[in-house]
Order: sequence, then C-alpha cells, then structure tokens
Amino acid sequence: MHAARGIRARLTVTLVALVALTAILLGAGAYLFVANSLHDLALRDAAAQARFDLSVTVPDAGLPVGPTTDDITASHLLDTFHQRGIGAIVDLGPNGEAVSEPDLPGVLTTLPADLRQRVAQGQLAFAWTTITGRPRLIVGGRVGSSGPALYFVRDVTVIEEGLTQLRLALVGGALILILLALLAARVIARGVLAPVEAASRAAERIERGDLSARVPVASNDEFGTWAERFNRMAEALADTIGRLEAAEAQNRRFVADVAHELRTPLAALVAEASILRDHLDALPAESRRAGELLVADVGRLRTLVDELMELSRFDARAERIALEPIDLRRLVETVTAARLPEATLVLPRDPFVVDTDPRRLERILGNLLDNAREHAPGAPVEVTLTADAGEIVLAVADRGPGVPADEVGRLFERFYKADPSRQGGSSGLGLAIAAEHAALLGGTLTATAHPDGGLRIVLRVPVTGSLPRSDVTETGGPEALNATIRSQEPKP
Amino acid sequence: MDARILLVEDDPSIREVTAIGLRNAGFTVETAADGAAGLERFASEPFDLVLLDVMLPRFDGLEVCRAIRRTSTIPVVMLTARADTIDVVVGLEAGADDYVKKPFEVPELVARVRAALRRAGRGPDDADRIQLGPVAIDPAGRTVSRGGAEIALTRTEFDILTELARHAGQVLTRDVLLDRIWGYDYLGDSRLVDVAIQRLRAKIEADPSMPELIQTVRGAGYKAAR
Repeated sequence: MHAARGIRARLTVTLVALVALTAILLGAGAYLFVANSLHDLALRDAAAQARFDLSVTVPDAGLPVGPTTDDITASHLLDTFHQRGIGAIVDLGPNGEAVSEPDLPGVLTTLPADLRQRVAQGQLAFAWTTITGRPRLIVGGRVGSSGPALYFVRDVTVIEEGLTQLRLALVGGALILILLALLAARVIARGVLAPVEAASRAAERIERGDLSARVPVASNDEFGTWAERFNRMAEALADTIGRLEAAEAQNRRFVADVAHELRTPLAALVAEASILRDHLDALPAESRRAGELLVADVGRLRTLVDELMELSRFDARAERIALEPIDLRRLVETVTAARLPEATLVLPRDPFVVDTDPRRLERILGNLLDNAREHAPGAPVEVTLTADAGEIVLAVADRGPGVPADEVGRLFERFYKADPSRQGGSSGLGLAIAAEHAALLGGTLTATAHPDGGLRIVLRVPVTGSLPRSDVTETGGPEALNATIRSQEPKP
Repeated sequence: MDARILLVEDDPSIREVTAIGLRNAGFTVETAADGAAGLERFASEPFDLVLLDVMLPRFDGLEVCRAIRRTSTIPVVMLTARADTIDVVVGLEAGADDYVKKPFEVPELVARVRAALRRAGRGPDDADRIQLGPVAIDPAGRTVSRGGAEIALTRTEFDILTELARHAGQVLTRDVLLDRIWGYDYLGDSRLVDVAIQRLRAKIEADPSMPELIQTVRGAGYKAAR
C-alpha cells in the first residue's frame, strides 16, 4: 500500500511537471512572437506615415522659415493630424513648441534624450513610452535639413490591452492543462496500480491463512505473466500445506484409533488385574513378584491409554467446557491434599469464587503436582494462588533438579521427558494435557527454570468472558459468562 | 448376599472376568453375549439386577434397557466405554439407574452393584404425602402427580424429588445427593446429578428453562422451593 502511494505520487509529479513545462514554453513563445509582430507592424505603419507627412504634408502647409506658434496655428497643420487621430508636437527651437492635443504640452522636454538627438541629426527615430498613463509610440523626424522637428504621438493602448488578454488566456490555458494532467495521472495510476493492489490484497489473504486467494490475470503484459506465476506459487503452497494437514490429521486419527482399539483389551486387563491384586498372597512365591509387576504395569498402561484418548479428544476438538461458580481456594486445597499433601500452600485469605470449569482446573493442578512429585522427589514444592478481577494465576514451583534452560520450551511437548533414562510411571503426556486444558479455558501455561535448579510452572486463566459461548454446555449456561468474582459467605 | 445378576457383555474376556469378580463377591451370575440373548434370558428367569454393556451386537444396551423398563423396575447399571455427558443422558433416559465407566476395577463395580441393590431393596416408604407447589408426591405408592395428572418418573428421578422435597428450602450439594440417592461416595462425577435434575425438571416444571420447584443454587447445589 505504501509503495503504491509512492508510485502514484511520482507519476503525478512527473506528468504535471512535463505538462506545465510544455505549457509555459509554448505560451511564452507564442506570446513573444505575437507581441513582437504587433509592435513591429505598428512601428512600420507609423514610420511610413511619418515619412509621408514630413516630406509631403508639412512642406505643403507653406510654413515660413523659423516659424512661430502663431504660424503653426494659422496653417491649421495640426488640425489635419488631430483629425487623423495622431498627436503631434512641433519643436520650434527658440520659439517654443506647438502641440495638437491638450495632453501634450510640456511632453517635449520629457522625451528620451537619445530620441531628440537623433532627430536633431536629421534621422527618423522612435520610442515606446507612456504619457499621462497611456502607452504611446512616438516617431520623430525633421522637415528637410533645417526645418522644425516633428514628433508624431500614437496611442497604442489597444495593442497593450490585446497583449494583456493574450497573457491571461495563456496562463488560464496552462492552468487547465495542468489540471487535466493531474486527472490523467490519477486515471493512469489507477489503471497501472489496480493489478498491484489486487495482488497485494491476495498476498494479504494468503498471509492470514486463506490459501484460496488468487490474483486476477487481467492482461497479457508483464504483469499478467507475473500474476500467473504468483497464482502457481499459491497453488503449490496450498497443495503442500493441504498434504501436510492431511498427513497430520491421518496421524492423529491413527493415534485416536489405536487408543480406541486398545480400550476393550485394556478394560479386560484392568478388571483382571484388580482381581489378581486381591489374591497376590495366594500366588506361589516364584510368581508373586511377576503378579505384582503385572498389576502395576496394567495401571501404567491404563494411564497411558486414558491420556492418549484425552489428547485425541482435544485434537478432534471434541472437548467442551462447563462453567460453574467455584471457590478456587478450596479447589486448590482439596486437589493438593489429594495429590501432594506435603506441598506448601500460599493462598488468598478469603474464599475466592469464580465461574470456571473446575474439572479442568483440577486436572491441570493435578498434573502439575504429579510432575513435581515425579521429577523433584522429596524436594519442597510450593503452590501459589493469586487472583484478581481479571486473571487467575496458579503457580507450582519445586526445588528439584529442574530442567536445562534450553529445554524448558519443550516441556509441554507430547512424550517429552526431561531425563530419558528415567523410566518412572510418567507417560510424558501430563504437561501436554495440562496445556491443552489451559488453552481450552482461554489461558496459558508457562515454565521457567530457576537458576539454582527447580522448575516453576505458571497457569494464567482470564476470569471474565473470553470463553467462546458455543463451548459452554447447559450446565454452565450463558449467565455463567458474566463476570464473576464475588465474595462468598463462609460455608456452614 | 445371593442376589441374581444378569450380565450382558459382548467381549468374552471382560464377560468372564466380571462374572468371576461378581461370583467372588457372592452373587449368582448369568451371562449373555448380545442384546437379543440378554433379553431372552431376562424373560425366562427372575433377576435382581442387570449389568448392561452399552455397545452390544443385535440390540444395543440402550434398546435392551428400554425393553426391560417396559415390564420391570429392576435396577439396571450400564457399562459404558465413553462417559461423556451424552452417554449419561441417553442412559438415564433409557431408564438406567447408574453407569460404570470402562475400564473399571472389579471392587468398584461390586460397590456400585451393591448400592443399586440396596436402593432397590428399600421397602415402600409409608411416610406421609409431600406437597411441592402443585406437585403431589406419594412415597407409599411411589407416584407423583401434578394437578391430578400422574407423572411417570424413573426410580432415580423419584428419589431425587422426594429427597429434595423432604428438605424443602435447604440446599443439598451434589455430593450429598450422590451419596443419598446413588449410595456411594463422591467419585468425581456430579454430572449424574445434573443430568438427572434436568430430566426431572423437564417432567415436573411448568417451564423447565425457568425452574421454580427445583432451584439451582450456584456454587452450592440444588434446593426445592419451600
């Protein structure tokens, strides 16, 4: 998504810059060309007129040599210019000046020195200037070689106004072009980026575990090829994962089937061993020990099959929780008294009632205590219960030999045994089962190795309703999800 | 004690060792290997108790139990490989009085069988009639009626109702009910009580989802309304 935004911005900036540059260059060029042509045209016209007037119109007026203002007025020469819309200034040297328009007196002295000098030398010269706020073109020349100098003043406002409008039109046009470029950039970016975004969404779905996500192959170009390759990769991934899952499911089904098939002969064995146990004393001495071992081993086998069945029920997601209000303090006391009475208890002072599945808590605590008894025989064991409105924390810590720090993470694996040479009664499944029960309650089991030896396993279970509603059986009821620590009257 | 027990179990080893264990305990045991043979046997001879495996060829244990219930109130104990709540519910529905989970040790089975026999052997109760709201209980005739109409209850349901009604207003824990009704120490399966109470409510309450006669006391047990 971030990269896509980058591409969109780069595309927009590039396209707009290109269009703006083109518009500015074209506009400026057009403007300069038009302005030049207009000025040139006006100047040529004015020069032609001036030449004609200086060589024909003024001499025809029959002015005396060294004319005065009165002579000019009397000749009506300036009226002719006035009628033609051209202002005129006659430089009468020591006799002053004569002008045809009321806004021209005194202008003569303000004309550029360069202009006047060249006119004095007998040349035809011009200047663009402003008089009383309006743009003017002034063309000057002398009549003959000794006659008075004449300056023709033309109002070129129309030209300048036209050029102003042209400028506005060009700037407006450029702005419209840039706007169009922005729109075009968006449209193009969307076209180019749509497949990228589709691919990004597909990858995101795969990342979330939806292996059916595919990229639409919409085009025949490089992107289309890439999309096909992406889809082939997703296909291969789904295939592999599907095969692995099928293999694992088959594996688990096999374990469940084996455990199930073992149940009937095991039920016979358990019943038989229970009778044998009552009559061990009647056996002859040479077979009595074998009888004792047989009875004990049937017990071990029963535990193992029971635990395998229990695990396969978790694997089949057949386990449901049944919530009921329970005094945790009493539960911990009862289970510890039954499983490891010599453990030290650290409990809250008051009864502590929460809605939970007591059978699972009993199972978890029981398995933790069995684990401590087997792997830390004779060592001090401490059971600590702390709980607040949000969480139950139940810890079982022993001061036995513990587990190497790098193996702590494997404690909850099935059939993991810290010391493979030990052949105790443990199946190696107890902690794995405890972890499954904890997960079913929405909690976690974690183990930490004490640096001085000893193992501490902590169960954390949230107290309030994070348990999925569908998993609650009718003995719990939806009201059990409401939260749920309350003080309890002392038991009678 | 020379009570006669009919054992219906398809696995030969389990059938034989169970029979040995029961005979050692002093019972007279007859066996059958499938449901049909079991029913035949039951019809031809008098028995004091039936031990029924749930999974049987030719009529499973539940069908056999229903068939027995049509003609007899003899105590029936189911042997079940799975002790899921579902199995308990279905077993009690079929009219069983108790169940024993496989694998079992013989002494445990013997204890359960003795408890069931003791319960069935209790003579008719000549105590007075008990009234629980609109429900009338007649301990002598072992009948229950609501508004004059008789309600058919199993022995277990009747015993629970009577026990709760006799102590109306008082909370009885699951352990106490297990001990007084089923007659053996708490073995950790209070689901038996929960299931039986639910089935009882379905029969006697006006609205079983809003029970008024038999109330749940959360965290403690059950009590009958006073």
